Parts: sequence; C-alpha cells; structure tokens
Amino acid sequence: RLEVDPSVSSVRPFVVGAVLRGVTFTKARYDSFIDLQDKLHQNLARKRTLASVGTHDLDTIKGPFKYMAKPPGDIKFIPLNQTKQFTSAELMELYSTDSHLKPYLPIIRDSPVYPVIYDANGVVLSLPPIINGEHSKITLKTKNVFIECTCTDLTKGKIVLDTLVTMFSQYCTKPFIIEPVETLINGKVEVYPSLKYRTETIKAEAVSNLVGVDQRPAQVADLLSKMCLESKVNKDETITVTIPPTRHDVIHPCDIYEDVAIAYGYNNIEKTTPKTLTVAQQLPINKLTDQLREAVAQSGFTEALTFSLCSRDDVGAKMRKKIENIPAVHIANPKTLEFQVARTALLPGLLKTVQANRKMPLPLKLFEISDVVLKDLGTEVGARNERHLAAVFYNKTPGFEIIHGLLDRVMQLLEVPLSADKSSSGYFLRTSTDESYFPGRAAEIVAYGQVIGRLGVLHPEVITGFELNLPCSGLEINIEPFL
Amino acid sequence: FTSLRECKMQDFGSLILEELDKANQLDSLKFAQRHEVDEQKIVGAIKSLESLGDVIQTKIYQVKSWQLTAEGKEVAANGSHEYRVYSAVPDSGIQQSKLMSSCGAFGKVGFSKAMSAGWIKIDKSQGAPVVMKLVESASDTVGEHMVLIQKGESEKVDAKLKGEYKKRKLLEEVVDKHYTINKGTNFRTKIEKAPTELTADMIASGTWKTTSLKPYNLDALGVETGGGCLHPLLKVRAEYRQIFLEMGFSEMRTNNFVESSFWNFDALFQPQQHPARDAHDTFFISDPATSDRFPKDYLERVKKVHSVGGFDSQGYGYDWKIEEASKNLLRTHTTAVSARMLYRAAQAPQFVPQKLFSIDRVFRNETLDATHLAEFHQIEGVVADYGITLGHCIGVINTFFTKLGIEKLRFKPAYNPYTEPSMEIFSYHEGLGKWVEIGNSGMFRPEMLLPMGLPEGVNCIGFGLSLERPTMIKYKIDNIRDLVGHKVNLEMVKRNPICRIDKSGTGEERRLQVLNRRWANIESKLSCIQKQMEVMGISTATAHGMAADSSDGNLMDVVIKVHPDKPPYSLQLLLNVLKKRFKVAASTHTHSSVKSAGSLVLSSDESRITADVKITLIYSNVTRPTMIVKNAQIQGEENIVRYLARILDSRGGGNLYESLDSKVVAQIDNILDRLTDASKHSVSTLIPGILTKSKYLAGNRVTIADILAYSLCKQAAVSNSSIKDWSKRVEDAIAKM
Repeated sequence: RLEVDPSVSSVRPFVVGAVLRGVTFTKARYDSFIDLQDKLHQNLARKRTLASVGTHDLDTIKGPFKYMAKPPGDIKFIPLNQTKQFTSAELMELYSTDSHLKPYLPIIRDSPVYPVIYDANGVVLSLPPIINGEHSKITLKTKNVFIECTCTDLTKGKIVLDTLVTMFSQYCTKPFIIEPVETLINGKVEVYPSLKYRTETIKAEAVSNLVGVDQRPAQVADLLSKMCLESKVNKDETITVTIPPTRHDVIHPCDIYEDVAIAYGYNNIEKTTPKTLTVAQQLPINKLTDQLREAVAQSGFTEALTFSLCSRDDVGAKMRKKIENIPAVHIANPKTLEFQVARTALLPGLLKTVQANRKMPLPLKLFEISDVVLKDLGTEVGARNERHLAAVFYNKTPGFEIIHGLLDRVMQLLEVPLSADKSSSGYFLRTSTDESYFPGRAAEIVAYGQVIGRLGVLHPEVITGFELNLPCSGLEINIEPFL
Repeated sequence: FTSLRECKMQDFGSLILEELDKANQLDSLKFAQRHEVDEQKIVGAIKSLESLGDVIQTKIYQVKSWQLTAEGKEVAANGSHEYRVYSAVPDSGIQQSKLMSSCGAFGKVGFSKAMSAGWIKIDKSQGAPVVMKLVESASDTVGEHMVLIQKGESEKVDAKLKGEYKKRKLLEEVVDKHYTINKGTNFRTKIEKAPTELTADMIASGTWKTTSLKPYNLDALGVETGGGCLHPLLKVRAEYRQIFLEMGFSEMRTNNFVESSFWNFDALFQPQQHPARDAHDTFFISDPATSDRFPKDYLERVKKVHSVGGFDSQGYGYDWKIEEASKNLLRTHTTAVSARMLYRAAQAPQFVPQKLFSIDRVFRNETLDATHLAEFHQIEGVVADYGITLGHCIGVINTFFTKLGIEKLRFKPAYNPYTEPSMEIFSYHEGLGKWVEIGNSGMFRPEMLLPMGLPEGVNCIGFGLSLERPTMIKYKIDNIRDLVGHKVNLEMVKRNPICRIDKSGTGEERRLQVLNRRWANIESKLSCIQKQMEVMGISTATAHGMAADSSDGNLMDVVIKVHPDKPPYSLQLLLNVLKKRFKVAASTHTHSSVKSAGSLVLSSDESRITADVKITLIYSNVTRPTMIVKNAQIQGEENIVRYLARILDSRGGGNLYESLDSKVVAQIDNILDRLTDASKHSVSTLIPGILTKSKYLAGNRVTIADILAYSLCKQAAVSNSSIKDWSKRVEDAIAKM
C-alpha cells in the first residue's frame, strides 16, 4: 500500500504502484528495463514533468509506503550510486553539474516542499522525479520489484505504469501475473495498475469507406487480429474489437481503422483520384508578387531570399532606429541573437546579402518581395504580415536615379500615374527625414494619398553598420495597397 | 617606318611578308631581335596572318633556356648564401646563435652549405657553440655562376651544376616557343585587313557586295547578358505552385507568421503536453504574447475533446488550459492555416468541397545544421470532401509527385498527432540507390474535424513536404545556407538554370535524350517516305528499308550524281570495302552540264552483267550529291554513305554504322550532322577536336563518320598533321576490312 499525504498536492499530487514477483534479470533484460523507463520518461512523461518511475528491490524495504512532501532540508538519504547521506537541498547542488539529472531539477527546485517516498521503517525510496535511494537499488540479483510512479497527470501516470508492467511481467516466475498496489488518497483506496480492457464496436463498411478498400467483416477482423487487436464479428455484421492496456494510443475508431490499413498494407491500397471538382484560385497577393518579381528581375535586379527572423540590432541600431519605436514582434525564447525579432523591413536582409557578396563585380542590384511582420493590436493575434518590395543599388556612386527609376517602372507596371500636382490621383515623392537615410537624400513615396514607403541614399552609418564601404541607395514599399 | 617599335600589328604583318618574299623563310625570334621588338608582338602578327588562309605556313619549335629565380637574382647581386655566412664570421670566431641572427633568412642554408664546403667549423669546447673559419679565404663560385647565367652565358656553367642550382631553387628552366615561317600556297605580299563588322557605310555604299569580312571566332563565348535573375528556391516554388494549380488546388492565405497556440496546436488535437509544444522546438512570442479572440463555442468543443473526449473519442484525459492555448508563437507548420480554412468551410451554410494548398514559411526553434534552419518553406496540400478515402490520399500524392518526375513511391506507417491513418512518403532516389523520405501525409482525425462543425462523412486528407530539401537535392547543394538567407552566393543565383522540375538527369543523359528524339524523328520520316513509296507502287522490304533490299544476285544498282568540285572520296573508300565482299561494277561519267570531270574516277573490272552491286558516278551540275535508287532519290553525301553502309552492315558484315552499339550510332549521327553543317574552316577544327579523345571520330574503330569526314577534308584540301595522320589511319583501316 502507498499512503498519500495531502502535503504532496501542491508539488506532485499523484502516485500509482505495482509489484512484479520473481523476476529473473539478465544483463540484457536489466538494460532493457532501464531503457524502457528512460523512453517513457522522455516522451510520454515529457521529460519527467508529467510522471516519473522509481523501481526498487522489494526485499530491502517494507510496506506500507508513505508518499509525502517535506522541506528540502528535512529529507536526508544516500542517493543512488553515492556513499554518504545528502539532504535534498544538498542534492540540488550536487546534481546542478550532472548533465543527466540537471534538466529535471527545475521540476521541483523552487517548490517549498519536495516529494519523497518512505517505507515503514523510514527508509527513503526516492526523491521523485530526481533520484532513487541507494538502499533499495535494483541489481541483477533482485527478485521482487516494487514500482512506484509519481505524477502530475494521473492519466499519464497510469499509462506509464500499465506499459511498464505489461512489458515486463513476462519475466516473472508466473508470467503475466502482476501484484496490485493500493493507493490510499484522500481517505479513498484505489488499486493500481488499472490494466483496463475496453471494447469498441466498428462497422466493416466504415473501414472500407475510410481506407478505400472493399473488405468484408470477417476480413477486417482477420486484419485486426494480425495487429494484436482481438476482434470478433457479431451477428449484425458489426465487429467488436478489444483494446488491451498495451494500446493506450487507441482512443478513437479511426485508430482501429489505421491498424486495418496497415495490416492491409498501405502500398496494396488502390490509388484513386477523388471526384472532387474545384476551380483553382491563386491568392491575389501571391499572384501580384510573382508578377512583380518577374518584372523587377527584368529591370536588371537580382532576387535575394533572406530570413524573416533577425536580431534587434538588424532592424534597430544598425538602421539607426530605436528598437522601442519599431512595431516589432519579439521572440521569447531565441537560442541565438539571430532570432530575436521578426523583421519589420526587408532592407537589412538585403544589406547583409550585399555584405556577403562584396567581392562580386559592381554594381550590385538586389531586390526582394516578401513579408515583414508588424505588431498590430487591431488583429486577432496582435500582429500581421505585410508584403513589401525592397531593392538596393550598391556602387561607387549612390545611384539614387537607378533606384528611383525602378520605383517609376514598378508604378508604371501597376498603372499608378505620376501625380504632377502632388494629389491623390497617383504617386509622387516628397522630402522626408528618416534615420536610416542620409539627410537631404531621402524621400517618402505617396501613392493615392497614402505613404507606401521610402527611398533614398542610405546613411553612411547604416552602410558601415553593415560592414560596407561604398554608397548605397535603397527602396522599400508596401505593395498591399495595389491589390 | 620611322620607328618599328611604333608599328601596329598589321604593319609587322606586311613587314614579315615582304621579308619572307625575299628570304623564303623567317624565324620569329631572329626577326624580333633584328627589329628590336618584343617577340610576342611578332607572334600576334603571325597569328593574324595565319587567319587569312594559307598565306603563310608556320612551324613551332621550342628552345629551353636557364633563368634565375628571385632567389637566384639575389645571389647574383649579393653573393651566395654560404659565402655571405663565411664572410660574416670574424677571424676570432663568433657564437653560432649570434651568427645566425646576423645572417637572417639565408643564414640556415648558408651555414650548412658553408659547413659542407669545409669553409667553417663549430667549436663546442667553450659550452655555447662557436663558429670558426676553417680556410683563410673562399671563392664564391655559385655567386659567379649566377652572374654568368644572368648575362645569358649559361653555356659557360657546367650542366651538372645547373641541375644542382635548379634543386636549390636558384635556377629554373624555361621553354620558349618560336616560329619558323614559310610561304603558304596563297602567299602574297599585300594584305588587306578584312573588316570585322558590317557597317552602315557598307550598306549605304553597297561595298558589302565586294567586302569580305573577317570570320567570327565561334569558339569564343558571347557577351554576358545583363538583367536580373530570380532566386533558385523561388523558381522551384513557382513550379510547385503551378502543379497545385494544374490539379485544381486553391491557394490558402498564409501571410500570418504569428499564430496562436490554439490554431497551431489545440485545433489540430495536439495535446498541450505534446513535446512539439516545448520551448525547445517552438518560438514563442513575448510581445504580443497572447491572443484571446477565439470562437467561443468552438473553443469549448476543442477543450472538451482534449480533456474528456467526445465525437467517439476517449480524449487525452487531462486538464486543458486556455492559458496554454492563448500563447502566441511563430507558426510551426502551415497546417495551422489549413485548420483555419477548414473551420471557415465548416461555418458556411452548406459545405463546399475544398482542395487547398500553400507554400510558405514555417519556424522551428531547432538546433541548426547544414540541412536545418530555424525557418523553412512548407508545401502543403489538403482535400476535404464527402467520401474521401486513404486510397484517394495515395492517389493524389501519386499524381502530385508524378508531375514532379518522381514515380517510384512507397508509403510507410507513421505517427502524427492530428492524422490517423498517417503515412510517411518515400521515393526511390536513383542517385543514392535507396528509398528516402520525402514527405508526410494522412487523414485528419475526427477529433480535429468534427469540433469545427464539419458534417459527419466529410473526410480530409493532407500532405506536406519541405521546399528546401528537394531543391537542395535537385541542385546538388549540401549546405542550406548556400541556398537560403543572406549568405547565398549571387553568382550561383545568376548561373542557376530555369527550373524544369520534371526534367532530371545529368548533361550526358539529356544529350542522349535529344539524340534519341532526333533518331525517332528520322525513323518517322523514313517510314513516311516508305509509305509514300508504297502508294507509288514501289515495294520496300523493312522499316530500315531500302538497305535491306533483298534481291538475289542484284543487290544494288545506283546512280550517283555529284558536282565535279566535290568528288565523293567517301565512295572510293566504301567501294574498296564493297569490292572485297561483292562483285562490283563501277563506272564514272561526265554530264554535259559541266566542263570537266572531278578528280576522282571510280572504276572496276567486273562487268555490269555479272555484278551484284552496280554504281554509276556521274559528274553533273547538281548542288548536292544525289543518289538515284529505284526511282527514289537520296540527297546529300552523308545519306549516300548511310545507305551504302547499311547494305554493307546488313549484308557484308561491315560494322560501319547501324550494326554498332546504339550509343556509337547516336554519336555517328551527331557527327554526320555536324559535318554536314560545317564549313571548310570548321571541318579542319572540328575533326582534331573530336580526335583528342580517341583514334577515330566515333567509338574505337573506323565508322562512316570517319569516311564522310575523310571525304570532306580531301574535298576542302584540309591538311594539317593531325588530320594527315588520321586520314592515313582511316585508309589503312579500310584496306584491312
């Protein structure tokens, strides 16, 4: 019996257990036993956060066992593979340099109390989910195994326990016999492992309709038996399928249908074409983008394809802008500086491309038409993409007229006339100041009365910021108004 | 000329011709020395004279001479290293370390040379080694020799020593090429420089009629085109997009990189504890950190199916939290968008079948390596309709990949939280010789579709792959950073071919495809001719035809008309072979339309009555050689050669053409085509070009490619040494047949 003290409710509230009697361990079986626990810990138990298993030599300990939570300094025992006693607080210190155990420490480290399992004599079995005690260690000589599984997600804990005992009970003196363990929790006794069998009734027709093969009920039952799902055809032609406790992955009839398909053989299924008639439609913004890409390339610019993530400096300091003033989307958990924010402009990526290709013959004429990401609290997720066109000209002379020429060409292609009277009838340029451009050499582009972007000669500090040394002019506009 | 040094190339040319006229032979080196100009300029003039046709004949000869290396020059100026070390030793001796530091770079070499010359010795009796002079004076032979060689008097230095100096890297042997110039058959002293281009003046004045232009060098490359280029990956994207559109798929709106966990995971029935939702795999957003505008009732249904089940599902049995679903992230797959699209379809008053696709960026917070980046393009296709099956899924995927030129596909069971059944897609990679995974697919789970409100019975299949991986394989790129991002090499972008995604294979394979197509074309033309002949009442035997004509005792009776300027020397060769196998009657006549016969006369001793093969050659005023065989005409020397070779191959064991390996036959056809189109000048360059690799033009034995080329060379009187050698080889091989 495992007795659960209410003190664990705040840290790791559940525990389930089982006993395997008369197990014969060989080296291979022992390794496999440890491996299986490791796999369950990593995947199903999501790195021990949801559940963790402790296995013990039952002959070295005595029930009933107590599962409780105590302040870190009050728990003292000899942990696995150590020779002297440590308090659990000291263990946190000890294992902070241990590459294997280190990742699990944060699961309980900051909790005021740590979970611990004691036997009837006060021997510490384990400090879940970190380490077992040396005292009850399993060896090749161990015969009777006590398994405890503490968890924050009871469903996962039950699955872990079921899986472990169903896989290893075959090595017991009486194979496939598992001794249950009672859990006393909140005054109620639950018996584990649950080893629940469940049945599902399916129709052969439903299987055939989903998989696309014509199978009679008996054939479906045969295929399922091949997959170790006991199946029987009922009088009304339905099939009753028994799902064993080893198959916690089967949660819906569609999981059974998949087993039929696998048993039938994916590669034996006849390839058919759906009769679904649809009329294809391009996304307008993508169609416009592709048409513009062709046209800009025909105008002598070569296409770049740069990353949509970048560092804060790329869109901020290097462009002589303050990151706080930019509506950038910030990433919470970047592994490197290159993924701090989503880009808010295409120009930095183009300048980096120029930097990497400085040795190419001049002039370098590059463009990109792609999405930038802007924080916009008026949208569902608080951010939106915007399709931009950007181009740079890098040469011994700034070539403002070249970039300007490209803008005129793009406007011509989009049938936006030059507005001589600077009205909203077409597009025109007007002087503007922008930190990224050289003073007096920047203009904003106004189309149909709306500012769609900027062009100009880049500021020398921007040029040197990207490790370049020649004049460079740039253009960046939003093309979405022209949809 | 006031000063020869100011002469232009053309002037040198005239001068060479004038002197050659008097002297009959010139030497480029001596000519240059006599006129005190750089020999390279003279060589340039010679090359330019050579291009005029056979005005001069040249022969290259090589002269070896000794020159000082940079180190050798230093020795000539400052004395040998060993002498300098010796000179640096005072009579009282010097500590070795001091000596070495005072001698600098040459110290080490100089020291060991001086030691072995016996000029100095080391005294270690005092502890630190001290260098002492061993001889009172030394003479620097090496230094003197360098000076001699520098003055061009290298013959005064013993050959053995020169070899030694070469090993010491003081000397190097240089080979200079010089020319001996003789008069050519078209020798003349006056050369008019041929204009290089047609000009407006020429057109206006009409002088183009009498002007001969300098021939183009067709082996040089043209000027590079200007203009920009599209990015390779996006060119491939355009192809994939096109394929989806051809298959009737509509494009999804994927321009929203920021997504909520709800749409990215929860809507797809991906449990909140799933490892993919870990910060190690997904980029979460700190600003704007959360979303909350979810469809309320749909959210409730999602929560229920996750936590307690429903829609025939057991659910995952955990405590579903809105906080987890609200977390914003950079979408990890475009399936998030598919979920939105399917939800939208479910809200329509009546369900309309959907075929959707997208190709756009997705983000993974993964460990980066040569093939993985934090962002990549996902290609995704989705079909939703009543009665869609797994067989449909396999069928759609099969059609899709067939359009990409990938036909060998296999499907393997896999696990995916939102599809069931799930399949990994494998294709057989011919290059690697194994099955490689190329994508993932499956049918969306009912727990995903039904909470959206899609009607029961509507099934949905989905498949996805990355855009980068197949592109890297296609363009043989190992590192993904060479393809995507700012580190891409723009030169690669520029050189990248247009994307013909269903066309794969090496250049050689593609060349064979072209040849095969051309061959198929010839065959279809032949069968067309055959049909015409049948209509005209002429009997033919087999598809290959006329050559396999099976008449007994009268194998062939042909009349061949040629212009006297182009005697068919190929016939002469073939006749020699025919004569050894059949009784051949040959005769030559001249038609009244031409003044005289050609230089080739075919004849034989056999009488026409007993002969199996009868060939009548008539010189007449025809533009192309023409063979008349049973009322049909065969035009062109190359086709006459083909015809005769077929007879020889099929009836006489000739092995000249179609009885050979099909690759060689394709090669022969290619060469015959090139020869037919070739001008006189290009024949003379074409043949040596092919011969660099082998003794014969096609394969490793004489074929009709050699026979035709032989004939053309002889007609054009092309003779250079490599062509002469090869011509002799062809004649000998024919004689042995």
